[in-house]
Amino acid sequence: MTEHIKPLRAVFVPFRMGHHFGVPFHVNAQRRIIAEALDFVRTATHSGQILDLLRWADLRREGAQIEKQQKS
Amino acid sequence: MSLAHLRDALTAGDNETLIRYVRLHVGDGDEVAGRREIDKAWVQALTVLLDLPDVDRAFVLETLRTRDHATLAHLFFSLHFHLVQQSGEWIHDGDL
Amino acid sequence: MSAIGSMITKSDVVPLAPMRRPLADSRLTFVSTAGVQPIGTLPFDVVHPVGDYTFRRVPSSATPADLEIHQLKYPTDGAHRDLNVIFPIERLQELARENVVGGLTQDFFSFIGYNMDPDLLERTLAEDLARAVADEQADLALLAPA
Repeated sequence: MTEHIKPLRAVFVPFRMGHHFGVPFHVNAQRRIIAEALDFVRTATHSGQILDLLRWADLRREGAQIEKQQKS
Repeated sequence: MSLAHLRDALTAGDNETLIRYVRLHVGDGDEVAGRREIDKAWVQALTVLLDLPDVDRAFVLETLRTRDHATLAHLFFSLHFHLVQQSGEWIHDGDL
Repeated sequence: MSAIGSMITKSDVVPLAPMRRPLADSRLTFVSTAGVQPIGTLPFDVVHPVGDYTFRRVPSSATPADLEIHQLKYPTDGAHRDLNVIFPIERLQELARENVVGGLTQDFFSFIGYNMDPDLLERTLAEDLARAVADEQADLALLAPA
């Protein structure tokens, strides 16, 4: 869909709908996604370029740990 | 399903296409689920009325008499979602 | 050309707009289709069969407790625990505080993604939003679907 719509610059994140900035309470991941997107404004070389980012499985595991720590 | 497609269906009297669109809307893109949702709303409305509770009919009649067609049509969609929410079985991902 | 399942057709490529100034001097705005809105504003019309073509302003200084979500088409379980997962307002506030970006526009912008008339969307919502973002003198916009 993103390739079809051709936004000038796009970051592809592998999360499910409603979770485009990662997982709840994973501040570092949320910051990283934004930081990579902002950096891509500078580094993108051509219109329509898509940056592939992150692995959901890793972040989900880290997010579960963070929530566990918050509860304990 | 595009709006142009729907307008063509309307012109052609193709009600099957129009009701499919409604089912897709109320079923979040799943026509079978949409049909069930429409049934669910009617069952819920019937359930609420079965024991003949007091009804503010003056409000209903006043609303039907004084409001425009578009507002009433929107009310119909609003009531659908309100009733399915009231039923306690909510298939949608988000919130009203 | 039209992709399967998509009403959107687009053949033109918009040229890259270069950054006008360094990130640390740039004013950032955020535009989201998440249906996030300040509590007390008119809820997005999520029941309308053809969609809602309006947007809400969300003060960039708002806290998640000031905001609520009205939409039907994406899972909100994560957002209800931590709004930043779909509307990262606290992360953006941090970036401004730490001078990673020069600042935030006074308002961010939000609408819902259920709009079944792409022509109307382009003529109204997209135009209105673009004007509002320009009025806020944003140098940079982060757009996020939901």
